[in-house]
Amino acid sequence: MNAIVFEDVTFKYNNLDEPTLSNINLRIEEGEKVLITGKSGSGKSTLAHCINGLIPFTYKGEIQGRITVNGKEPGSLSLFAMGTQVGSILQDQDCQFVGLSSGEDVAFALENDCVPPEDMSAVVDRALAQVDMLGKKEQPPQNLSGGQKQKVAIAGILAMNVPILLFDEPLANLDPASGKKAMETMIDIHENTGKTIIVIEHRIEDVLEHGFDRVIVMGEGRIVFDGTPDRLLAEDLLPRCGLRQPLYVEMLKFCGADIHEEDKISVLENTIKYKDQVVTRYLEDHFTDKRPDNRTILKLESVCYRYFKDDPFTIEDISFDVKVGEMLAIVGNNGAGKSTLLKTISGIAKYQQGSMFFEDACIDKWTTKQRALAIGFVMQNPNHMITKSMVFDEVAFGLRNFGTKEEEIDRKVMKALKICGLYEYRNWPVSSLSYGQKKRVTIAAILSMGPKVIILDEPTAGQDYTSYKEFMIYLDEIKKTGVGIILITHDMHLALEYADSSVVLSGGRVIARDYIDKILADPLIISKANLKHTSIERMGRLYDVEDISSFIAYFTRRITGGAL
Amino acid sequence: MSKSGSLYIERQSIFHGLDGSIKLLMLIAWTFLAFAFMDVRVFLAMILFGLFLLKLSKLPSKAVWPLLVFIFIFTLLNSGLLLLITPEFGSELTGTYSKAVGIGFYTITYETIFYCITLSLKYISIMPITILFLFTTHPSNFASSLNRIGVPYRVAYSVSIALRYIPDVKAEVENIINAQEARGVAFRKGDAGIGTRLRNYATVMVPLLLSSFNRIEVVSNAMDLRGFGKNKSRTWYHRRKYSKLDITFAVAAGFVLVLAVAIKVSIGAVYWYPFH
Amino acid sequence: MSGFTGFFQSVITREGMIAIVVAIVLCIAVALINKQKGKHMSTKTVVAIGIGAALYAALSAISVPIGPNTSFRIAIALLPIFGAFFGPAAGFLIGFIGHALNDAFMYGGVWWSWVFLSAMMGLFGGFVGFDKKFDPINGACTKAHIAMMYLWSLVGMFIGSVIAYLGDVYLYGEPAEKLFVQITLANISNLIVIAVIGIPAVILIAKSKAKNRGLKKDA
Repeated sequence: MNAIVFEDVTFKYNNLDEPTLSNINLRIEEGEKVLITGKSGSGKSTLAHCINGLIPFTYKGEIQGRITVNGKEPGSLSLFAMGTQVGSILQDQDCQFVGLSSGEDVAFALENDCVPPEDMSAVVDRALAQVDMLGKKEQPPQNLSGGQKQKVAIAGILAMNVPILLFDEPLANLDPASGKKAMETMIDIHENTGKTIIVIEHRIEDVLEHGFDRVIVMGEGRIVFDGTPDRLLAEDLLPRCGLRQPLYVEMLKFCGADIHEEDKISVLENTIKYKDQVVTRYLEDHFTDKRPDNRTILKLESVCYRYFKDDPFTIEDISFDVKVGEMLAIVGNNGAGKSTLLKTISGIAKYQQGSMFFEDACIDKWTTKQRALAIGFVMQNPNHMITKSMVFDEVAFGLRNFGTKEEEIDRKVMKALKICGLYEYRNWPVSSLSYGQKKRVTIAAILSMGPKVIILDEPTAGQDYTSYKEFMIYLDEIKKTGVGIILITHDMHLALEYADSSVVLSGGRVIARDYIDKILADPLIISKANLKHTSIERMGRLYDVEDISSFIAYFTRRITGGAL
Repeated sequence: MSKSGSLYIERQSIFHGLDGSIKLLMLIAWTFLAFAFMDVRVFLAMILFGLFLLKLSKLPSKAVWPLLVFIFIFTLLNSGLLLLITPEFGSELTGTYSKAVGIGFYTITYETIFYCITLSLKYISIMPITILFLFTTHPSNFASSLNRIGVPYRVAYSVSIALRYIPDVKAEVENIINAQEARGVAFRKGDAGIGTRLRNYATVMVPLLLSSFNRIEVVSNAMDLRGFGKNKSRTWYHRRKYSKLDITFAVAAGFVLVLAVAIKVSIGAVYWYPFH
Repeated sequence: MSGFTGFFQSVITREGMIAIVVAIVLCIAVALINKQKGKHMSTKTVVAIGIGAALYAALSAISVPIGPNTSFRIAIALLPIFGAFFGPAAGFLIGFIGHALNDAFMYGGVWWSWVFLSAMMGLFGGFVGFDKKFDPINGACTKAHIAMMYLWSLVGMFIGSVIAYLGDVYLYGEPAEKLFVQITLANISNLIVIAVIGIPAVILIAKSKAKNRGLKKDA
């Protein structure tokens, strides 16, 4: 039986001029496991809203064509009736988790259904056990990690006993290791219950490694691909749609491998047949590692910090340095102490032990403001930073606060706008820019103040591959001007491709400080820091390459193309 | 306040076992009792009985003390202000005039001083039972308790949402302020004048609101998709049937309320001043 | 001194009684409007109340002191804002729940009469929505709307003050004259917070949501 059918569906939001979905024809069978992908603005979220009933009930617009979910038309039902057909897990775990404890959150739908409290307990316990969270039943959300909150969200949907599960960007806010666990939970549920599973996600590699039957690619409101992962990976469609192929596929294509659907390369092990081609390429080609300047700008020496006097240190004995024009990645899973470290560097949190040096001067006594002029800090969410309505004013804001003269402001702002590719937009309202452009505005706003070091917190969060890639190119430009850049991230791909070197944090301590490829070749560090093995590394091991580190380095740099 | 933003302290006591709605009823009855009188004797009795109840609740005094100290300081300041602005207020009520302190036109009477003491004790008398409710009721039970005493469940649930998101929103406020501070916006005393600092808070308001509006939209979608508001009523995971103990306390609270009204009606309790 | 107080009490109470009646009438009006639609409070309003109250509590930690016993309380700015965006019922409950929760958690006791001052400011802050053209989330906010926001805020402060006054005098037993001073100071500082932070925030958001057509890149 068909779980979901779209017949020539076109949808236009009331406040937009153009339709967001055009002529969608789609059939999803009961029990299928489908990935729907596409870059930002491709219409994939709108498609999800059509499936779970938010369209037409919450988001209003004109709809043409016919949608049926389990044989019923959403428009003829209510949002509540749709809720019994499709269980949705939204991308923001904190918004999905409305209860004050795990158990309460799982019971939420049951409470709304007026299930008597005495009957709820068993259902809640079973659902929590299914996602391995029974031990955390009494915990408030503040005590849970992002991955754990997501598991609770999944349990909440399982308790509703719906036939279709819809995941909207489930990996967006999770670190790679938690993301992997979340995917595994989903696969388990699929295997044990046979429910239809639809995952909307642009991080294709992280989904496909879990064996999906089918991929649907959206582009500009239309379905541009609908077929098996094997066929998708054999074609060249993904890069054309602004989406990222799995790393190892990029690598195979770079080596000129001839790939067909029958080769079934969605399973990494099936790429063994290209071994000779890849290894030959690797051995024949050469590249030299570019090592950064050796002048140090920022240095940390055994910095320790704790929030309360009686607590153990949240970060302990942190030492590393940043050189002129270096891009340093600080990687670690959620809770490793990344944000605390950030607070100590920016001066918001006063470290109790250790010292920091800026261009050889000790800055332990510097105030937040003094530090801000030397070390710029870009937050994860640009919407948390932007306070002015016009692009120019936003970029000039910091300078104006520090009392810079207006003609000097003009010069500095223009320069920063040019570096960040925003010069043409200087007279635009910030609200009409895309998310990626807003992100660049926040960087320009920091850059205009002339810091020697810029720290970026999760710079690629919320961006699809196209805007991410563009963004990193601008960052590379900034790096060339001699500014030291610190990326704080759990995104391995990012660190691997763009950073010169890396500091790995785990449990509040530095467990490694090295060139990134060396770190990623070390299984011990990977497991200790709860990072994720990249597919290039797995390829290297599959092909019995001796020097994994140089293999990783070679291919990462080659496929990003820029950083050699 | 703990990480989750609640004051709840886990203990095994008679009050921890009591249903939240009963404690809420007790709180209401107690507050009415305090409102009905202006009588030191009543307040002293309430304070003593309240402290006795607190003792029964087995709450660590370390957690309760700061709030008691706070109310004490508050009542001192409030009395100070009262004496400053209306130094003869007590005399107007009693009709007697016994001068205590006098500088020129400004005279404080003993009646007013005694009034300050009465008023302070009144404020303090409300405290024990409020503390009892806050510290022995798990936040998960707040909403269901409100609903149980007649508040519509949608309104009651918004209290639960507030408790759920206070820590998240707090972190966001800090984040936004820190980011702006790093860009040279002055928020601290000494960095700029009052006017400038106030305007600077206006700067952070817009990003804070936009992000809150976004949160409201997503949370309400998440709740809609899980059937919030589907039925005329809803059940509550943490709610259980009333026990005998619950009923006993409810009756006692009701009795206190009736007693208060009866005394108030019979003697028309006004300001009690013993030193005529 | 006592003559002055007596005069003051009689005037305030008479006006107060009238104002109370007005407030009750208005409350009934709102209730009736809500009932006419035959609808329950939407989930979005429920969440807006919850998040608004959470913000109120979070921002209550921030105040700019201007003197003994008085300070600019930033949280006050939220009342007209949430009223304007989510309606009078949401405004009322945000003020009520936010203030009560914050009092309870910070001080271990709730000052009910002043809770109503906050609640009334939220309630009346929402009355600007009587004009159906007012839609700040989609950029519709004219000069007349701005004037109405100030007007309703003032009305809300006045009626809220009367309730706080009556509550403090008759329930808590505070002297009228002292309250007059306290309420006046609170109202002045609240008005400044609303004028500097609250209403400008609504205008800024409306501006940022207004559609921008025909934007051209500058060379």
